[in-house]
Amino acid sequence: MARTILIVDDSESIREVVSFTLENEGYNVLVAVDGKDALKYLDGKSIDLIITDLHMPEMDGIELIKEVRKMPTYQRIPILFLTTESQTSRKMEAKDAGATGWIIKPFVPAKLIAALNKVIR
Amino acid sequence: MDNFKKKFIEEATDLIEGLEKNLLALEQNPEDPGLIQQVFRVMHTLKGNSSMFGFDLIDHYTHDLETVYDLVRNKKLKLTREVLDVTLSSVDHLKLLLDENNYNDPDFLTLHNALVSRVSKLIKVETVSENSNESDQGKVSIQEIQEEKTFFIRFIPSIGIFKNGTNPLYLIDEIHSLGNAKVFVHLNKIPLLNEIDPLLCYTYWEIILVTNHNYADISDIFIFVEGESTIQIQSIAEDNLLDDDYFVSEITRIAKIQKDIGLATVQKIAEDAKKRFLQSKAATIKRDKVGLKDTSISSIRVSSEKLDSLMNLVSELVTTQARLSLFAEQNNIPGLTGISENVQKLSRQLRDTAFSIVLIPIENMLTRFQRLVRDLSNELKKDVVFVTEGADTELDKTIIESLSDPLMHIIRNSLDHGIEEAQERIKRGKPKQGKISLKAFYSGANVHILISDDGAGIDTDIIREKAVSKGIIPPDKKFTKKEILDLVFIPGFSTAKKVTDVSGRGVGMDVVKRKIADIRGEVEIESELGVGTTITIKLPLTLSIIDGLLIKVEETHYVIPLSSVDKIFAVERKKIYETFNNVLVLEGRQVSFFNIRREFGLPDGVQDIEQVIVINYEENRVGLIVDTVIGEYQAVLKPLGKHYKKQEMVSGATILGDGSIALVLDTNKIIKLFSKIENY
Amino acid sequence: MNNENIAKINTFLSFKLGEEEFAAHVGKVLNILEMTKITEVPKAPEYMKGVINLRGTVLPVIDTRIKFGMTKTEYTTNTCIIVLDIEMDGDSIHVGALVDSVQAVLELNSSQIMPAPSIGSKYKSEFIEGVANIDDKFIMILNMDAVFSGNELANIQDKTKETENSATIVEIE
Repeated sequence: MARTILIVDDSESIREVVSFTLENEGYNVLVAVDGKDALKYLDGKSIDLIITDLHMPEMDGIELIKEVRKMPTYQRIPILFLTTESQTSRKMEAKDAGATGWIIKPFVPAKLIAALNKVIR
Repeated sequence: MDNFKKKFIEEATDLIEGLEKNLLALEQNPEDPGLIQQVFRVMHTLKGNSSMFGFDLIDHYTHDLETVYDLVRNKKLKLTREVLDVTLSSVDHLKLLLDENNYNDPDFLTLHNALVSRVSKLIKVETVSENSNESDQGKVSIQEIQEEKTFFIRFIPSIGIFKNGTNPLYLIDEIHSLGNAKVFVHLNKIPLLNEIDPLLCYTYWEIILVTNHNYADISDIFIFVEGESTIQIQSIAEDNLLDDDYFVSEITRIAKIQKDIGLATVQKIAEDAKKRFLQSKAATIKRDKVGLKDTSISSIRVSSEKLDSLMNLVSELVTTQARLSLFAEQNNIPGLTGISENVQKLSRQLRDTAFSIVLIPIENMLTRFQRLVRDLSNELKKDVVFVTEGADTELDKTIIESLSDPLMHIIRNSLDHGIEEAQERIKRGKPKQGKISLKAFYSGANVHILISDDGAGIDTDIIREKAVSKGIIPPDKKFTKKEILDLVFIPGFSTAKKVTDVSGRGVGMDVVKRKIADIRGEVEIESELGVGTTITIKLPLTLSIIDGLLIKVEETHYVIPLSSVDKIFAVERKKIYETFNNVLVLEGRQVSFFNIRREFGLPDGVQDIEQVIVINYEENRVGLIVDTVIGEYQAVLKPLGKHYKKQEMVSGATILGDGSIALVLDTNKIIKLFSKIENY
Repeated sequence: MNNENIAKINTFLSFKLGEEEFAAHVGKVLNILEMTKITEVPKAPEYMKGVINLRGTVLPVIDTRIKFGMTKTEYTTNTCIIVLDIEMDGDSIHVGALVDSVQAVLELNSSQIMPAPSIGSKYKSEFIEGVANIDDKFIMILNMDAVFSGNELANIQDKTKETENSATIVEIE
């Protein structure tokens, strides 16, 4: 069965480009515009991976990650976050919150897939 | 992509308008950290998104502005009048930058350059990150061809690694994808059953990896876990240590007795292995020197007909010599055995010499390809460089003759359909100049030729669609990526959307595959969308004589190429017939095996001792059970003829000294087919 | 009239499969060999009997009986291998045909050869060039290229399934 990936980003173009790439790879894709929106999906839908931006208006990525880790079903779901450059402090903050890894923007599709391959099969 | 671009422009316009508001507010309250942070965020977002949609000018421009506000944010730069002025001018300028039509206007570009230098003056500090950024992007599309190296990797995941959703096995898989890896799993830290917490990770790994990737590529694998896990990566040799029997057997032995190997031990074994290798090498060189001819003798030209007849005579001689050996063995006439052994030695040497004459370096045909790429790239208006490696690799001249056309076709394909136009490449963050490389090297008794391009890659969706529309595959069935890529080898399958002059004239990859198969070769294709395509051709060194191992099953003699034979074991019959999963333990290692009798549909054997021939099959060792091993045998390969074309397991036949026939087995194909049938 | 005669007199080699008699044009026959040891090729279709050493070359041998839908050849002192030169995919290749016995060399006038009946024959019409009636015996004259180059069987009856199965095992993939 195809894996389902939830994409959380306030930028519509990023959401589209990521879902386009992932759908091409045969994944089911769900999109949410921020952390609050994302939490709605996590209630009920079966999700295999979350890709989230860090800066978002309502609930930001780090808060989202913390919330997800509190949910018994999603304690061990892989979570990747999108970040613009190698900002170590930000990365560590997200990892401490429970993120699995990250994807550096800008990315070409191959890079996105490479990061995905580290956490999902 | 155009649709995405439109969305981006809409979004960016909103962002810039918001930025303008923020800046005006900031002018009133220049100390407000919230406002500064917001300006920084907008720059940051603009930068990240613009580069993804090909707006490189915005990307670079906002990068500098972002730096400015990062400095302001960290109180390293004062928010002066000038900074605000520049930023406000930038707001107007960014709006113009969103309209690509402006990019052709020289006045606009002058203005742009002026603003860029104004911004960078604010920073003062040299930004080095821009350079590193570029090289980072380059890394995605081109992999420098590097020699194989051996690394030692020790990966001890933090005990709570599962908590963050990491599955360390994926990382081990990823190591496998970099090259040839020998993985030692250590379970000695697993506590007693009643103390195990299933949420914790007790396993750790030690890995010997042979790869042409570098240190950075390997450490990239662990990038998500490097903070909490213990990771040690150390280059231990400049060549392939997994090819070294001593190294492999020694490290396996140590791993078994010690549980944990450790870098120091690995380095020690690597050093010993090298010493042994050099010693044996020195010995061979000495031997070679004795027989070394004066290299100053110039080469002479010989017609290829003469060479062909020489090869035929050598083949006949080898066959006759086999008959002589058999005769000597059976009759035991004093003196005859000695003479026959001498004849055997001489004919073997003669054979090798004759072979080396018909082996010619592939360099001879590369010039044609070089020329092809040059002319064709001009014609197609693409900037493409053609690099070769291993041009001195030698192959039988008849193989080279039959290889030229298929290679030509592959290179044409790469140029025409693979490498994108310069603009497209830039958009994708690749170097403007495309690259096609041809790499040839020896691998056992085979030669591998890799043709890679850093072009667009093959879109498996398009292939799938086409195959479905042509009724080749059912629409609802799942296929692996490899299965889909392999569809291009099906006759009549051509995916090029438009037929150009260069390729797509109806000659497809199916013809390439057939031509390569005619010279007993195999073709494989790998492709990553957006990254490039690699076609691998595996060829036998020579077509007519092989060094083999003569065996017997039931009434039939078979020859197994010696190059693929690892070891031979005599094993009690009951050990073979009593296992349920076809696995034997030989020298402490598990070896799965196939019983030739059963696979060939023959009745089970009755003798007490069976022979297990251990074959190197890809990374594994696989055993084949046979009745009798007779010994080494030089087989003059004769074709089985068209009627047996579908019998892939038998690559030919050879005539034994007594006039009977032995079949030459293709061990790779056999194991492949056997494992397939088992899986059904 | 002379011309006509030369053109129309043909020489055939006749052979038996079970009780039925067949004939091949001698232009296709290279040699007749006594039965010799045949090396079986594993996993080949049943009618592909194996290979033999013919003066240093490897000759594939076909069990003609199986091709014609009969049981496989039981070796007797009369069993022999007819070496044929046939055309396969545009190439001329050699192949051995295992038959129960070789009968005679016949000279047949074209008037003695009747077209093969298209209805009621148990063999596919493309394999039969004609039928000759000699001393009240019917001899089927075969198109050797058609019989020995393809992988289909010559009889129409549907007992072919079983034999073809052995061929498909190796075609998996």
